[in-house]
Formats: sequence, structure tokens, C-alpha cells
Amino acid sequence: MSLLPIAFLALAAQETTTRAWTIQAERVYTGTGRNLEQGFVVVNGGKIAAVTPDVGGDGGRPRDQLRAYAVTAGLVDAGVRVTNWFSVEQSSEVTPHLRVADTLDPFALDWDRQVRNGVTTVLVSPVDRNVIGGLSVVLKTAGPDSIAERTVKADAVLRGSMGSDPSAGNRPASGRPATFYARRPTTRMGVEWEWRNAFFTAAENRASKDPGTSTLVAALQGKLPIFVQAWVTQDIRTAVFLREEVQARPEFAGMNTPRFVIDAAAEAWKEPQLLVRSKTPVVLPPFPAEGRTREGAQMAWNVAKVLEDAGVPFALSSHGSGEVDSRLAMQAGYAMSGGLGFDSALAAVTSTPAKLLGVDQRVGTIEVGKDADLVLWSGEPFQPGSRVVATIVDGVLRYEGWTAVQGAALTR
Amino acid sequence: MTILPKPAAAAAGLLVATVCLAPEASAGDGRLVIKVGRIVTNAGPDIENGTIVIEGGRIRSVGKDAESRWDAEVLDHPELVAFPGWVEAHSMRGMDRPNENIEVAPFLDVRDSIDPISFYFEDCLRQGVLAINVQQGPLCAVGAQGRVVKPFGLTIEEMTLRPASGIKISTTRPGRSRALQAQSVRRAFRDLRTHLEKLVQDKKDGRDTARREALFQGRDPDTADNKKGRAMEGSAPWKVKDFEIVPRGHVDEKQEPLLRLVEGKLMAFVSCDGAVAVVQALEIARENGFLANTVLVLDGDAWKAADRIAEAGVPVVLSPQLLYTERDPITGKEIETFVPGVFREKKVRFALQSLNPSSQSLWFQAATCVGYGIPRDEAIAAATKVPADILRLGDRLGTIEKGKDGNILLLSGDPLAVTTNVQYVVLDGNLVYDRSKDRRVMQILEGVEQPNAAPIGTDDAEDVDPHSGEKKTKTPKKD
Repeated sequence: MSLLPIAFLALAAQETTTRAWTIQAERVYTGTGRNLEQGFVVVNGGKIAAVTPDVGGDGGRPRDQLRAYAVTAGLVDAGVRVTNWFSVEQSSEVTPHLRVADTLDPFALDWDRQVRNGVTTVLVSPVDRNVIGGLSVVLKTAGPDSIAERTVKADAVLRGSMGSDPSAGNRPASGRPATFYARRPTTRMGVEWEWRNAFFTAAENRASKDPGTSTLVAALQGKLPIFVQAWVTQDIRTAVFLREEVQARPEFAGMNTPRFVIDAAAEAWKEPQLLVRSKTPVVLPPFPAEGRTREGAQMAWNVAKVLEDAGVPFALSSHGSGEVDSRLAMQAGYAMSGGLGFDSALAAVTSTPAKLLGVDQRVGTIEVGKDADLVLWSGEPFQPGSRVVATIVDGVLRYEGWTAVQGAALTR
Repeated sequence: MTILPKPAAAAAGLLVATVCLAPEASAGDGRLVIKVGRIVTNAGPDIENGTIVIEGGRIRSVGKDAESRWDAEVLDHPELVAFPGWVEAHSMRGMDRPNENIEVAPFLDVRDSIDPISFYFEDCLRQGVLAINVQQGPLCAVGAQGRVVKPFGLTIEEMTLRPASGIKISTTRPGRSRALQAQSVRRAFRDLRTHLEKLVQDKKDGRDTARREALFQGRDPDTADNKKGRAMEGSAPWKVKDFEIVPRGHVDEKQEPLLRLVEGKLMAFVSCDGAVAVVQALEIARENGFLANTVLVLDGDAWKAADRIAEAGVPVVLSPQLLYTERDPITGKEIETFVPGVFREKKVRFALQSLNPSSQSLWFQAATCVGYGIPRDEAIAAATKVPADILRLGDRLGTIEKGKDGNILLLSGDPLAVTTNVQYVVLDGNLVYDRSKDRRVMQILEGVEQPNAAPIGTDDAEDVDPHSGEKKTKTPKKD
């Protein structure tokens, strides 16, 4: 880590429209299995134009140059939630066709925080107030001031939840007269029943033009991945068994291939063979400082290593945190401290989530032709002693870190 | 070959069973030879393949081929890195409760509040924090006296490195106006002055109220020391005239610690939750002559008063939140400030605090400093040598050098790497922690549930609010 001081060379003519860069790094971690020592990444027109050990004579086209210790692809977080409870429609427990994109504010500071931490692509999901909350969206964290223009993939996944979140705060009818203020479900079994009811009803009415039903039908047919939040073993089992029920029952003939992804699967390490059997990938929640996290789930620090050994695809997530100790880069570091290798940790915050979201044609690795989403690091990525010194999104330098110890961020 | 110390004596075994640590940990005789692949002495260049000889609990020699007695026990680990223990300059953990609900309580001592078998100290050992200055929370205007302790021992006395490390003073209290709290602190010193002046007047008038009060408090005012009077010492701008006629044993025990503070014999750890509080703290310290023995414990935007702090020449203990974020009211954009960078630029001595006791301990804070551009040796010093100096234990802690306490961490790798673990802890020349036998680590890190292991993440966990030091409520954490 002797190469910490970073020199930005020839930072001239900085306009946000600058899209031609030559990035020089001691380590180019492409994420494709081919890492370079002392390499260059050439960016043109918002795309990666070349990954090369030597730029040589480059046709003389003027490019701005950046230099850092390491460069990786922009990080991808598949676990970002909208934090505002009131941004979820609560008129029904099952709202499959509602789009979270319609509630997002492109001017929110959350996006800037993500950019500062090197996260360039996020899956944003509705808060888990409903059993089936709606359609999540894959976005770039920087770009034009409109959600539509930042969208990488609209209606990317169908989002729902097992466990206690959808019933938390709901009022049971006991003890007081039932009113229409009472909201169901109030238990885990109620939550599961809502899922099954939604699936079976959709199967019965598969020809319906109702937007909620057609969304569920698409999900059951495997055209739309289903992200199910399930922290503890009990809820992970429920999700897996639900999928197996769909596969087995005659009611679902012709639409029995749903693709599930278990989100926030803190206890996935306990029964990895269940996830292998059902070919279900997972997104892990942030590592807790102590062993336990939400829903009383026990999340061992070797969870990522256990999943890798078992052959379960997994992504890491910060759930959108920008804090120094819990940002996505540190989640990769913590997974490494639990035994995961660097390349696997890198994949878990770049290419694997990109694949789970179906956007791996555009983001997740440094390859010619992909979006120029790049993170420049002051030292080895994912170590607390390294920081993000620059973030490029679609070829535009969106964040430039601090060049020296000083009291305030650089301004230009 | 690795030779571990002999099985524990009965008393040590009891302690060890309680905190689930190395069963072989022994009270020991403080004699050990440590051979490792690399020694990070923290006092000059690293030593490759070095040997540390500890005798009588102190480091006797460090070097490439340090001599040791033929019968000394040897901890031989060429794959490990030796590092001096981390030093926590200020912590509100490890006590049954961190705050008193009386306003002025300098006569209290955290000695009576520290719980030696608290999970907090167990975590400290696991994270390699080998000296902790336990101080009260900031809710008293003038709080109890703190104490520097080691994270090992069955009694407070065994744990103690330095008693009476300093009085906690707080110029702000959540939910109370700054004016009222500052007034409470000032009144404490006015009350001290009034009390001392009354003692002088009573003595002159021939009244012996103070002596009888001392007897009533159970103190003996007639020992040789207590019978002596001394003029008021220290640099306070106010002095009590003729104070030398009052026997020191006549000073009320509730006031006596404050007198020691004013006389420069006790330190003050002053909580400042913002820049305004810093200004008040420095004023009060100057008014009462204890600026030279003041340490500021900072929070919030207190770093904005860095110029005042530099001018006053006092060291600071930084908030665990190293990155300060605020929103520009005009542009609406977030501005981030890396606080240690500010103090480094102003040449103020700063010590770091752990973010939490379990995972993001002092190593993480020092590493974060490196990430934000502080030179590596300075970042490490901010969690070793600087806090040791601030706590006036610089001759005993902070580096691996001849004559210092035999406290050594054996790490699996670089002290600042996320993948590094504390494998062994040697405290005063005795092996007190062996990770391979740490049941709780197996549970937290590997998910292996161990019989009789302490529960993790339960209500007993030391989850305290960083601002008040109060234990957090038991509601599950929202992520």
C-alpha cells in the first residue's frame, strides 16, 4: 500500500460532457479473470474502447488522463431500498404492477453518496411494506436529471417479502372492533397466504388484461425475476418451497418456471444445499457488527465463502448505506475477512449482481464495448485503508476524491 | 515449535471460563519469549524474523536475535506479525450504566461501575485493544473520575493500569440548553471556591466544623498528611488566600477531586458536542487553571473550532464518526469533511475512538485514516502512542520497546488489513487470548454454535449510543 498518493495528471478541460479518458493504473481488475498489472483503460463516447497493457501511439486523439493505484468496474448494488415508508402504496397488500421508479427523486442526495462510494448501478426496490410491493428498477447513480434517462432496465424485477416486514404494524381484529383501518396480514402465515393467493389467482386468470395479473403471470413464466426478502432460514425455506409448489402444481401448467432470488438472505449459510437444489441465487444483507441482524437472523462472517463453496451465486449489498463502515466496498472487504478471495469478492459487487439483474451486457466488468462505469482506487479495493478517488459513470467523471489530506472536499 | 503456558491456576481458570477465552490463559509469571516473522515496533523500522523477550511483565529486549534464558517459554510463530496493543483514549463502555443523574459528581469513581466480565472487555481483547480509558457519559456537568484498565482480570484492581485518569466534564447535555449546562459547570467551580474560602474563615474563627464533617464522612483528618496545610497550587487565576492554614484533610471529599483538578494533579476529559461547546470548555478550563491538563472529547461539528484548539494546545479525542457530513444550505449539496485531516493540518494531537467494540475497532479507524490520506505511521500512532501519551502512560504503552509493558498482539497479517485477525494476545508477558479457542469468534465468524458459548447480539451486548453513552433500546436494528 505504498502507492497511496494519487496524482491526477493533466486534469484539463473538465466538462461533464468529457467522455474520452485514458486511465492508467497499477492494477486493472477487469472482473473477467484477466487482470493487468500496469495497464490502461481507454474510454470513448461513454463506452470502454480498450483495455491494454500499453496505449502506445494512440492515433494522437487528445484524451484526458487519470491515474490511480487500481481501477475496477463500477460497483453494482442489488439491494437498495427506498427508505421512505410512505413511498409504498398501502391500499392493498399485493401491488405487483406498481413501479417504484415513479416515486424516485433524481435529485435526492442518496445517488451522490453512492457515486462517492463507487456504486454506479443500483437495483432500487419499494420498501417491504407490502407482501408483493411492485416493480424494481435498475438505475445508474449519476447521469441526466431524470429517472427515465438514468434507467438501465425498467421493470427489472418483481419485489416482495416474506417474514415479518409486511405484517409489522398491522392491526389484528382481536380486542377491538374490526374497522377498515385494520390491515392484513398480521402473521408470517398470512404473508405466505397472500403470496400463494396472488399466484394461484393469477394462474386461474392468466388471460386477464389486469396489469397486476399480467405482471404476476410474467413472473411465473420466468420472464421477470422475483426478488423475495427473507432474512432467516424459516423465511428462506418458505420462499424456496413456494417456488417448488408452483413447479409441481397442475394449476401452473405452462407457467411454472419462476426465477427467484432471495434478498437479504442472512442465514443462507445454514442450508446452502436448499439453495443449490432450487437453483436460487441470493443477495446478502450488510454484515452486522455483531453476529445478529434484522429478524434475529444470525449472519456468520463466512456466509459468502460458504455460498461460494456450495456453488450458490450471490451478490453483496450495503442496502444503500453510504457510511464509511458499511458502504458496499466494505461489504466486499468483510466477505474477504470471512475467507472469500478478492476476485470472488469483486464479482459479488459487480458482475454477479449485474447478471442477477439481467444488465450484464452493459455493466459489471471492464470489457471493450461495455458502459464506461469505472472506479479508481487509492489502494487495494475493499480495504478500509483504500478509498474511491474517482468515479466515472457512462464516461463522465462524476466524482473526484480528495487528492491530499485537507479539511474539505475539492471543489472546482 | 509452539509451547503454550502451563494449565491455569484455579483462580485464572474461573475467570477464563466466565469470559470464554483461552483455557490455557494463565496468571503466569510474566516471562515469555515471542518469535515472529515481523515485529511492527511502532518505534522505528519493522524487524524481520525478530524476537521479543519479556521478563517480569516488561519487555526486556527486542531484536533480531535477542537473548533469552534457556528455560523461558517460547511462542514461536514465524507466520505472524507482532504489534503493540491498541489504546482506547476514551470509552463509555464496560460500565453497568454510563451516566449519573446528579449534576456534579467528581467524587464518584468508575471503579464502582466497571463490570470486569462485561462482553465489552472480551471484545477489546479480541480486537487487540489492551488499554481502555473508561470514562462516564456526558450527562453530568461534572462527572466521575475515569480509570485506565486492561481488558483482562477478575477484579478492577487486577485490570487497573492507572486509577483516577481524569474527571469527566460536559459543557453540553442533550435536551438541556447550553447556557444552563455551562452554568452548572461554572457553578461547580464557584462552589469549590466558596467551600475553600469558608474553610479558611472557619479556621480563622476557630470553628472545627470541617474536622467534624471529615470524621462524619469516615475520613481520618489527623493523619500526618491530612494535618498538613498547603497553599493552593496550580495556575488558576483565582487563589484562595491563606489556604495553607487549612489542614488538607479538612477539605470535603465531595470537593477534593475538583481541587486536585484545579491544582493540575488530575486531568479533565471535557465532552464537546460542537464548536460552541469547545469555546466554552476552553474558557472554563482557563478560568480555573486546568487547561494544561485538559483533553477535549469531540463530537459533531466541534472540529470547526480546530483553530481555537490548536491555539490552546490541548489534545483531542475524536468522534468515532471520522467523516463529517453536512448539507450546504444554499446549494443543497453534501459537504464531507475528514476530521482527522483537519487536526493534522492544525498540528493538534488527536486520538481515535473505536466505531464499535466488535468489528470496527481501532484498527478500522486507523485504516480509514490511511484511506483518507493520513500517513500510515501517524494513523497508527493516533490509536497507540498518542492515546498512551494523552493518558500519561507513554512510558508503558504504545510501542514494542525495551522497558515497556509486555503487551504484544500476534496478528495474522498487516495490522490495518481487513483480512487480519488477532491470533494471540500477550498481556504483561502472559498469554491471555488464543483465537483458536475463542468460542464466540467461531460463532460470529463461522456460524459454529458452541456449547456454553456466550450469546451474541443479545440484550447484553454493549450497544451504546455514541453521544450519551447510554445503552441503546432493545428494538431490532433497522438497516
